[in-house]
Amino acid sequence: MTTVKPDADAEVACRGLWKIFGDRGRELLASGVATRSRAELLAESGCVVAVRDVSFEVARGEVFVVMGLSGSGKSTLIRCLTRLVDPTAGEVRIGGLEVLSADAAQLRELRRRKVSMVFQHFALFPHRRVIDNVAFGLEVQGVGRTPRQERAREVLEVVGLADVERAYPSQLSGGMQQRVGLARALAVDPDVLIFDEAFSALDPLIRREMQDEVIRLEEKMHKTVVFVSHDLDEALKLGDRIAIMKDGAFVQVGRPQEIVGAPADDYVRDFVRGVARGKVLTAEWMVLPADPGAPTTSPAATVTAGTPLQGLLPVLISTPGPLGVVDANGGLLGFLDRAAVLEVLAGNDTVTARRPPDRAALTPSGIR
Amino acid sequence: MLAHGEIAVAEGAVDAPSPRAAAPGNGPSSPHRPAVCWLLSAGGAVAVVAAAAALSGFHAGFPARWNPGVAGGFSSLDNWVTAHQQSNFFLGTVIGDISTVLAVCTNGLLSFLTWMTWVGVLAAAGAASWLAGGWRTASFSAVVVAVLGLSGLWGESMATLSLMAVAIILSVLVGLPLGVAAAVWRPVGQLVRPVLDVMQMLPSYAYLVPVVILFSIGNPAGIVATFIYAVPPIVRFTQLGITTVGGDVVEAAAAFGATRGQVLRKVELPLALQSILLGLNQVIMMALSVVVIASLVGTGGLGDSVLQALNVVNVGDAFTAGIVIVLMAMALDRSSGAFGGRIGRSGRRSARQLALLWGAVVLVVLAAHYGAGLGDFPSGWSLSVSTPINTALSTLQNRLYHFASIPVVGGTSNLSSFLTLDVLNPLQRVLTALPWWVVLAVVGGAGWLFGGLRRALLLGACVVAIGLMQVWSATTVTLSQVVVALVLDLLIGIPLGIAAYRSRAVDRLLRPVLDLLQTMPAFVYLIPVVLFFSVGNVAGVVASLVYALPAAVRATTLGLRSVPVDVVEAGDAFGATARQRLGKIELPLARPYLLLAVNQTIMLVLAEVIVAGLVGAGGLGYSVVVGLERDQFGQGLTAGLSIVLLGVIFDRLTQGRSRAGTFTSAT
Repeated sequence: MTTVKPDADAEVACRGLWKIFGDRGRELLASGVATRSRAELLAESGCVVAVRDVSFEVARGEVFVVMGLSGSGKSTLIRCLTRLVDPTAGEVRIGGLEVLSADAAQLRELRRRKVSMVFQHFALFPHRRVIDNVAFGLEVQGVGRTPRQERAREVLEVVGLADVERAYPSQLSGGMQQRVGLARALAVDPDVLIFDEAFSALDPLIRREMQDEVIRLEEKMHKTVVFVSHDLDEALKLGDRIAIMKDGAFVQVGRPQEIVGAPADDYVRDFVRGVARGKVLTAEWMVLPADPGAPTTSPAATVTAGTPLQGLLPVLISTPGPLGVVDANGGLLGFLDRAAVLEVLAGNDTVTARRPPDRAALTPSGIR
Repeated sequence: MLAHGEIAVAEGAVDAPSPRAAAPGNGPSSPHRPAVCWLLSAGGAVAVVAAAAALSGFHAGFPARWNPGVAGGFSSLDNWVTAHQQSNFFLGTVIGDISTVLAVCTNGLLSFLTWMTWVGVLAAAGAASWLAGGWRTASFSAVVVAVLGLSGLWGESMATLSLMAVAIILSVLVGLPLGVAAAVWRPVGQLVRPVLDVMQMLPSYAYLVPVVILFSIGNPAGIVATFIYAVPPIVRFTQLGITTVGGDVVEAAAAFGATRGQVLRKVELPLALQSILLGLNQVIMMALSVVVIASLVGTGGLGDSVLQALNVVNVGDAFTAGIVIVLMAMALDRSSGAFGGRIGRSGRRSARQLALLWGAVVLVVLAAHYGAGLGDFPSGWSLSVSTPINTALSTLQNRLYHFASIPVVGGTSNLSSFLTLDVLNPLQRVLTALPWWVVLAVVGGAGWLFGGLRRALLLGACVVAIGLMQVWSATTVTLSQVVVALVLDLLIGIPLGIAAYRSRAVDRLLRPVLDLLQTMPAFVYLIPVVLFFSVGNVAGVVASLVYALPAAVRATTLGLRSVPVDVVEAGDAFGATARQRLGKIELPLARPYLLLAVNQTIMLVLAEVIVAGLVGAGGLGYSVVVGLERDQFGQGLTAGLSIVLLGVIFDRLTQGRSRAGTFTSAT
């Protein structure tokens, strides 16, 4: 396992995290047999390894998506972060607090002020009006009635639900209910937001709307977000970085381009097979030091590094000469291989994408 | 109204053994496979041995020389308690203080109700039920309060109301925290559950004797007995309400940093409120259902009126008091039920409205007390319905009891003698002739089949314990009555349940009758039963039958309704006739409920054993009644304990089957 250097700037950091369900979890871990496969362990000891030696860091303001099929342990993983589920071993640090050694009061403070959650099935309190649902976090903090309702009203305004504050959750549609869930999480102004498959219970159209809402809020508030999803399109759309989880362990961690363009193994490759790579990969991803056809230093035309491959088509058609890629300041990064780009656009996923230029945190952690 | 319900059921009993009624009853038992084969073969083998043993008269019953002297032990325990009433700390201080507090509360409440005057009580009852359920509930309560006065039983009604209120408050004060604790701390829950099981399984008055030993005769004893009987529902419903709050909601609260106390206060309790109120409603109904029996241990009020009237066979007076109890129960049931129902909904009255309403009530009370100088309901206004009821009932008795008044069957007296001579007596003879070890083998074997070795040992121990207490023959007498009542109940109840499921009209017709039977205090329908079946074993059987019938009908209907709509639809789509659908889909799928119906019916029939003893049915119930009346506590306690053991045996035998049924239908 590659060790991750502690990053002082990380809002959420997690190292060597294990969660084994069953009475003998610790014992198994200590004896070292926990490294064997899930199925073997279940058969032998009746213990389920839900999270297996996971390490990652989320920088302040970053959106980190944990992707995996159901049963891969992602929901357990995020519950370990605030110890809604107590991990078996490892380290978790959120905003400077060592979560696993925190006492009850510290943990409560963490949950009350620093981290908020949005739940898959909303988990709204059916006996409370919308406004009292939103104000719940402040209420348990001990904030008085008037100020907490004022704050709740503000947040409801933000998510566009100002007119239903007196309603009960059951009177709202699914999409509106999850907006209430979102407002409830935002009301305490947390540093970290955790979304547990928050939109998977919604209709596709509403889901997209909610995703846009998150993007909009993120642009405005710059919260640190840990987002759990089993929907690849959602992960690609929202994630600054994505972790692919399988049988409790991270298989690959990287930017959307890296996941799609350079799958770490067959599992991930299978996962991303259906993705329109032309939409996810950008010019930067395919850049070469020189055009293999015509080694030259002056491009006939240039595109910016962030252009999706799909957006290159007009240029590819209109410009016959070498295609240069420039960064945001106009500096030349390199050239594009026309044939390779066209192959990718044609859907040929055997084309090996180039390693992108060195970027932070490309090394996938927790790979076994 | 009451008489109608009774007669309908009594007539139902007449045509019960017809093959048409029996056929659907057999339906549900046909689809079980291996267990039943086992049972049949084992039962067959045992029957042969038993018949041989019975014919040779070998070891009939339980040997009398195996007598460890349980009854004598209980009697000396009672003497010891009497002797140490003052000196012992527990008896003198703890029990004595509880007794005093209960008596003071009851008397205080009664004086307060008297001080309020009848107009004040009317206003308060109306206001409370209006808050709970609106105008309809309020007018019903007001009418009931008026009837309390008009019946000439105002004083008795207020006494009963105070007694019940204290018993109910005590139940809530103890039951609610206990239910919360049971839900929150697993060990408490594990401890509480078997205790509640036993409490609910206890026939309503098996514990009268120990309560009397501790508290002696009087109001406190009645309150404690009522409390023991009525407290289980609120514990269970509170626990259920809290444990069924969605895990996601509790997790969400925890995720926002709520403490355990905050989760309980802000999430779990509010969400469990509806369930808790349902429990409270049950508590009220159960408390009222034992009003008459509580009077057996010396509580005053309406129950005492019923008992006294029954003693001098003044059916009219007993009926009047009985109807007043039923009406009181119905009013409380409606109000508390409506209150529980409205909690979940959004509409709540504002604080201003509440203040106005209760302010008005206080004004009315003050005006009535100080202004008009009113007091109890004016006795001159009461309308005695006792005489017309007596006349009407004796006419009815003449028409139904004697000779050929009903086609085919004759009169109820003929039916009574048929049941006695051709059913109960032969069955009793067979059961009495069985040697104890055959019974042990049958019960233990059945226990082993349904629940393995542990259950077999438990049930075997119960059988031996009954024998050792030297109440074997009384137990066989009771057993024969229980079996007959059970069979008749199932033969009548299951077809009725099916009919109610199939036909909306039948359902609508049946519902109020069943409601009435279920809300009626255990004693009230003894009155018509005595009228038509005289006293004796048959009267006891009929009383038990009537008492348990609603459970059989309701469980059947409920089971059939629980069959998933899509499965029934699939049956229709393949062109099944209504009969095929019932036989091939609905009844097999409803099997767990049908087995539950058997279990519930047996438990209810057993719960009536003591009541049956009061109308002269022989056996254990009679022994308890005699033990209570003549201070023969040893005999009363052993008989009561045997009823409990009988209950344990039947419950464990039928519960195992219904659980097994749930599993087979689930897989």
